[in-house]
Amino acid sequence: MILARLALRNLLRQRRRTALTLMVVVAGFLALSLAGGFMAQTFQGLSDAAIRGGLGHLQVMPPGAMEGDEAQSLEKALPDGEALAARLRQDPAVAEVLPRIQFMGLLSSGPRSVAFLGTAVDPALEPKYMASAEALKDGAKAAGGEGSRWISADPAAREVILGVGLARALGASVGSSLTLMSTTRDGALNAVDVDVAGLQDLGLRELNDRFLTVSLATASQLLDAGPARSRLSVVLRRPQDTAAEQARIQALLPETSVKPWFELASFYRQVKMLYFAIFGFMGLVLFLVVLLATANTLLMSVMERVREFGVLRAMGLQPRQLLVLLQWEGAFLGLMGSVLGLTATLLLRAGLNALHLQMPAPPGTSHGYELNIHLVPAVYALVALGLQATIQVSALFPGLKAAQLRIVEALRHV
Amino acid sequence: MLELRNLTRAYELGGERAGVFGVSLDIPKGCLAVLAGPSGSGKTTLLQLAGLLDTPDEGEVILDGEAVSGLPEKARCDLRLKRLGFVFQAFNLVPVLSALENVMLPLQLQGVTEEDARGRAEAALARVGLADRRHHRPGQLSGGQQQRAAIARALAPDPLLVLADEPTASLDHAHGGPLMDLMAELASERGVTFVVASHDPSVIARAHRVFRLADGRLVPQD
Repeated sequence: MILARLALRNLLRQRRRTALTLMVVVAGFLALSLAGGFMAQTFQGLSDAAIRGGLGHLQVMPPGAMEGDEAQSLEKALPDGEALAARLRQDPAVAEVLPRIQFMGLLSSGPRSVAFLGTAVDPALEPKYMASAEALKDGAKAAGGEGSRWISADPAAREVILGVGLARALGASVGSSLTLMSTTRDGALNAVDVDVAGLQDLGLRELNDRFLTVSLATASQLLDAGPARSRLSVVLRRPQDTAAEQARIQALLPETSVKPWFELASFYRQVKMLYFAIFGFMGLVLFLVVLLATANTLLMSVMERVREFGVLRAMGLQPRQLLVLLQWEGAFLGLMGSVLGLTATLLLRAGLNALHLQMPAPPGTSHGYELNIHLVPAVYALVALGLQATIQVSALFPGLKAAQLRIVEALRHV
Repeated sequence: MLELRNLTRAYELGGERAGVFGVSLDIPKGCLAVLAGPSGSGKTTLLQLAGLLDTPDEGEVILDGEAVSGLPEKARCDLRLKRLGFVFQAFNLVPVLSALENVMLPLQLQGVTEEDARGRAEAALARVGLADRRHHRPGQLSGGQQQRAAIARALAPDPLLVLADEPTASLDHAHGGPLMDLMAELASERGVTFVVASHDPSVIARAHRVFRLADGRLVPQD
């Protein structure tokens, strides 16, 4: 421990230089930790949007559903989706199963017709587990969206909720009567008259321009679906077990394909990869800056103490102990830097979050969001470990230089 | 106690061959020996060879009957730590440690517990008259006090041999004389062997034995 004590005293010898080096370490810690908190906010926002946007934690679909397009409605479907949903609801790990039908067709308002992508959902269950209400709330603010409400759970009701872009293209508003046209499972053309119950803003312009939602009863009539369903969205009781439950449920239902939400949410994966690339590069640069700054500090410190090292070696200190001494100096620099960095991170995070800053809408989306940098202890630990490792590496060269000094030359050093 | 057998260590200095050449001498236990001679005569080189800080080109250093100059570096470090002490012209105390901590340092490097090291260091400082200055850092001590602290540091581990290179050169006469008296007392009192490199007449006057060097060779005694 004498070497550790000596190392600490040595750092305090040149306080200003040590303080400057610590500032570099603190800045590195701060930047990486805040970036980590921001990434965590973004990832959580995107994962919530994907899961509550309709995917659920797991999707049960027919095998091959992801390959190619459907030539006609429900061509790739779970033939008795409702029975499968009822079976899954008995599973203790499953909180709810939301059957869905995905279809496409034309939506007409008098002489105007627009192609749509439709999803049919259970109007009673959907608002409980998915973000339908939020999308509806945002849609109500759009032109023609006033009075927006969720579709009726009455099986006889024929209602539709339109994306705000789709409503704009048709000149439709809440209360308008429209005609849905599509093909049945047998390929016959069919149509159903529907009333607009509300408008929804899904956050993505492309979705708003094409997307509509109806009840399963409405879609069943239009498509002559019977018990067939395109997919089942499974909501788990323990979302953190998604990967394990996917494997288990897939084994239970070998005739289907069970996919976790993160395999299906391509936007989430793309953003995650982009962020990892951007912040990974930033981290690399910061680690390099810390490496050079601490190596420079420790090397200068070695050059100033050549004679002192000669005396220590004359007293019997072994070369490897000088290496250890420099490693201790690096260890204290890293430890102090991380403690100060963590303190600065927590203070700045609290300050920034208290400002309720509004971030601009990400590319391709229509909503901004409030900055809320997450508290991520794992990121702080990882950054601290990374910085510590960087500093220990940076202390190697000065340590080796000290260890290789010839005693008689070091004692002559002025 | 210390035997140097036909030691040679040559190096280039300013284009000329310098060092020590074929030096042999014996120094008994408890002796205060002085290596005397003008600058460049090889005193420091010989002291560094005897202190295992450098390796001879030829010859042998025998410490307490054991040939030590050819030992591997780790064993030489161990010998320096446990059986040798050093005093330098420029004191060379560690500036970030107090006088007490400087004296404790070689003991703690040996693995002595902090409590024992403190006791032994305080006793060594008391012996050199620095008990009341033990918590001062080197920068707060006079040159004479620093050199006495350096002697305490060299003596605290109970070495067989203390090597001092021009220990009075940075001190005025009023401090240099008493310092040498202290070394002479310690040599007699503890049986520690001191080898001092110096050309200071007041140091030579206090020596039990004097070895004169000129151009790296031992000058025959009258």
